[in-house]
Amino acid sequence: MLSCADDNCKRLRRRGVRELSCRAQLRRACKAAAMKPPPFAYDAPETIDEALGLLDEHGDEAKVLAGGQSLIPLLSMRLARPARLVDIARIAELGQIFLNGSTRIGATVRQCAVERSAELRTANPLLGKAIPFIGHGPIRNRGTIGGSVAHADPAAELPAVMLLLEAEMVLRSASGGERTVPAAEFFEGFLTTAAQPQELLVELRLPAWLPGTGAGFQEIARRHGDFAIVGAGAVVQLDPGTGLVTDSRLAFTGVAGTPVRATEAERMLVGHEPTIAAIAEMAAVARAGLEPSGDVHASAAYRRHIAGVLTERVVKEAVDAAR
Amino acid sequence: MQRFTGTRVTRVEDPRILTGGGNYIDDRNPPGLGHAAFVRSPFAHARVHSIDTTAARAHPGVIAVFTGAELGPHIAPIVTQGPPGMSCPRFTCLATDKVRMVGDPVALVIAESRAVAEDACELVEVEYEELAGIGSIERALAPDGPRIWDDLDSNVLYEEAATYGDPDAAFAAAAHTINETFVQHRITNCPMETRGVIATYEPGRNHFTYMGTLQGTQMARFVISTALSLPATNVDVVLGDVGGSFGQKSSIGHEELAVCGAAKALAGRPIKWIEDRTENLSVGGQAREETVTAQVAFDADGRIRGLRLDMVLAGGAYPIASAPITTLVGTLARVLVPGAYDIADYSFRHRAVFTNKAPYVAYRGPWAIETWVRERVLDRIARELGLDPVEVRRRNLLAADAFPCKLPAGPTLAGITLRAALDKAERVADWAGFRAEQASERARRAVAQPGQPGQPGRVLGLGVVSFIEPAPGPPDYGPSIGFTLPPERATARLEVDGTLSVYTSQAPHGQGHETTLAQLAADELGVSMSAVRVIHSDSRTAPFSMMGTGGSRSATVASGSVIGVARAVRDQVAEIVAHMLEANPTDIEVVDGVARVKGSPDKAMPLAQVAMTAWLAPQYLPPGRNPGIEATFDFRAGDGGWTQSVHSCFVEVDPETGVVKVLRYVVVEDCGDVINPAIVEGQIRGGIAQGIGEVLYEHSAYDDDGTFKAGTFMDYLIPSSMEIPSIEIHHVDATVVTQEVNFRGVGEGGAIGAPAAVCSAVEDALSPWNAKVVEQYLPPSRVLELMGVIPVER
Repeated sequence: MLSCADDNCKRLRRRGVRELSCRAQLRRACKAAAMKPPPFAYDAPETIDEALGLLDEHGDEAKVLAGGQSLIPLLSMRLARPARLVDIARIAELGQIFLNGSTRIGATVRQCAVERSAELRTANPLLGKAIPFIGHGPIRNRGTIGGSVAHADPAAELPAVMLLLEAEMVLRSASGGERTVPAAEFFEGFLTTAAQPQELLVELRLPAWLPGTGAGFQEIARRHGDFAIVGAGAVVQLDPGTGLVTDSRLAFTGVAGTPVRATEAERMLVGHEPTIAAIAEMAAVARAGLEPSGDVHASAAYRRHIAGVLTERVVKEAVDAAR
Repeated sequence: MQRFTGTRVTRVEDPRILTGGGNYIDDRNPPGLGHAAFVRSPFAHARVHSIDTTAARAHPGVIAVFTGAELGPHIAPIVTQGPPGMSCPRFTCLATDKVRMVGDPVALVIAESRAVAEDACELVEVEYEELAGIGSIERALAPDGPRIWDDLDSNVLYEEAATYGDPDAAFAAAAHTINETFVQHRITNCPMETRGVIATYEPGRNHFTYMGTLQGTQMARFVISTALSLPATNVDVVLGDVGGSFGQKSSIGHEELAVCGAAKALAGRPIKWIEDRTENLSVGGQAREETVTAQVAFDADGRIRGLRLDMVLAGGAYPIASAPITTLVGTLARVLVPGAYDIADYSFRHRAVFTNKAPYVAYRGPWAIETWVRERVLDRIARELGLDPVEVRRRNLLAADAFPCKLPAGPTLAGITLRAALDKAERVADWAGFRAEQASERARRAVAQPGQPGQPGRVLGLGVVSFIEPAPGPPDYGPSIGFTLPPERATARLEVDGTLSVYTSQAPHGQGHETTLAQLAADELGVSMSAVRVIHSDSRTAPFSMMGTGGSRSATVASGSVIGVARAVRDQVAEIVAHMLEANPTDIEVVDGVARVKGSPDKAMPLAQVAMTAWLAPQYLPPGRNPGIEATFDFRAGDGGWTQSVHSCFVEVDPETGVVKVLRYVVVEDCGDVINPAIVEGQIRGGIAQGIGEVLYEHSAYDDDGTFKAGTFMDYLIPSSMEIPSIEIHHVDATVVTQEVNFRGVGEGGAIGAPAAVCSAVEDALSPWNAKVVEQYLPPSRVLELMGVIPVER
């Protein structure tokens, strides 16, 4: 049988997922007809505890199903082959939103619910700007906030948003209780997170949006609604008196195995006036710090270039919003 | 009474299709159905050492598993045919000794459900020894490279060359020459319904029924009957609704034939195979991968003196079963490349080579490379001489009084209106207004400083191309491409209730023939459209034709045959009614379904009464006349037969990201008279959408060694409504060929013209960067490479 020695591929094969740039995985995708999922057991618990019990019992044999916008195609194409699906869509307590300064979003809240909530968009402007870039309307109707974060596709919007917001992921398991993991530690690799097989992502905690802070989010995709070739988000806070930058954050999608914060570039703006020249310098540094790879859609050089272009665009957007 | 022809009648097909009542392959589940799935090669090129199907056979729910060797007794090797000199390797529909493309089928599982069949496919163990693969024309032609067919001495499957006039003298006399290689990339047809079949063998009457998704019925009968060693008359081919094809379904593939062999082996049990999307994208058939090296001789006034064209087509691993498309595309490009331009002296060499890729199939306007290369060349001449590209086209077009004349390769050009189309396009598309806007944006860009706020000036481009297409072409077109078709036959019966059944050999797969042919028949007979049913796509009832639907022929030939047969029915009605009402047949008219004597409204008879009399009461018919009203008509198309278009494409390029946006697209078209404007416009728009997709989005990408990289719709991008602008369509006002059947095809032109127009527009937009567009595929990264913004990475 085919094998690929690459560590990332091994990890992916364990998870039953392919990496498009890997030859062995590409070949797997073409090996036989694939339209119907392989056999699996199915549970639809109605409480968190019931779900945790199932995950505890079945471990990495089980896979959590939320909105299904990534998992169902992977199943149908036989690129993922879990023995058991734990469908969490019926667990009412996972579908709640709490707004009280900070924002707490239950894992199964649909992306469209955030998109359509003026209150949430005001409470967290970055979320409001990023969510419309997720796929198409019908995808956002089904797709969940927690599902996208837990799937950890480096081209997806929400993992990058969580990094930018310095959000916390609340994980719970039957044996270990609850723990929170900061976004910076949550995304470990391509489709890989800090969550253990027995753990369920139950909630996302977003810090309060501070006054004088603006957000920007933009993508370059081949077509409307596609995963972006590169996406970028920025959060900038300005001192209302001096107009100088007090906080600056920048992150990218699609340039590595995880979403990426451009920490060196971010710092360049802090304490300075966000002039066009300063932002251009920041973009040059951000671009130089990336090592993206090429694929059928764009070369590595293109991705690096676009990261710079998008940096200028989203930082300007964030600065304008902060003013 | 209402006349249907020429009006936007809503489609007869749509209520059933849009409400889920269509009859596609996967809608049908006859009792006892077995479901097929294929085990496929993950390698582009490999020896097969062993295939172990033990575990798959033992899997619960599996009915049978076949390897190529096991299928051998049930189905003969595939025989391809072509012109003299074509290499026709023999091969089996499941690979045995060797696999030659990613996705090459090596085993076939039949099970109680598709899911079980797929489970069992995973249990088949195949031992491969990987060989060096061929993913490019250069590797195919390398003298010491790998060979795809062990029994052939090269990878070249066909070669032909021809010279017209005296190109050497033309080059010697010309003021300027250019030499450039143009590369068109591989794309795929992407029909909404993938390929599929339900095959049933009835041993009791030694009869085979093939329900499939094809563009015709009769050719398939012969391919299947030859493969199964059955008399052709024991094979029925019955198509239902066919969900698109764009050329892909013009022949039967390996998989359908393998399923036929399995159905024969499992006698009595219907076997269904429906292709999944990854299979369709990888091996359903791909097209268009051609490279043309062009030497061009031209004068200081921009007129082409001569061309030397050398084309190589990357034909994939296997020739398709029933038509030598890889040779035919070269022939068509050779014959058609001058278009309506005055190009008398040229040479054309065509080679088709084997590569480790999916079979090369027909795709909407299979010869489109000729228009793309020629229009690229005209743009290049304009740039070299500093002339307006449209002016260069006007200088090269044949004079309005030159027609009729002959293309150098033979077909007669008549009824050419391209000059009128250019004049109209100049008005309706407002090229001058756009050029002024473009100049002002360029000026703003030139003075803008980096880092300065505000709009730096938009990067705009315009491409204008003109071309003609045989749709269906003049009577001497067939002989000049070695592909002469007999007249198109239609038959009809006035049923006992007075409605008309029309039988056509067309096999529509989205063209709306149930609508357009009913419009014509209703008008000719004098009934409403609801009194006409168009019957097609069933080899048991269709008039004989090896062609089915294809080649932009039906607007002329199917229409002519249906008008003729409806007229013959009307003549019989007139004869009978004249006898019964004691009038002269020439005085009988049929209006709104009632036959009546002109000028005597009281002397009338509904068609139902005429039909009932004809079928049930022959004693009232003219003496000696047989009962019933049935007719047959054979139609031969007349002169002309060229559809002609000028496409104007307006684009904006984002110079920072390389993203190309098509702002506006204007077509000026002469397809003669229009049967149904909505259907004509839909055909044109669909073709243009595919042409835009071809340049900006679509690519059946392979590595140099044949590894396939575009097996899902995340990798192979087709344009959506968000990427395609609204397309404005205008018709040329003056039709210069006037004959009774003056409808011409529009199925292919959109896809022929659009790649040329989009490339032309992008090159125009990038002219400040002095970029030359010689590769048709222009994703954003390629655009930035052309501008020198990023380094070239392949």
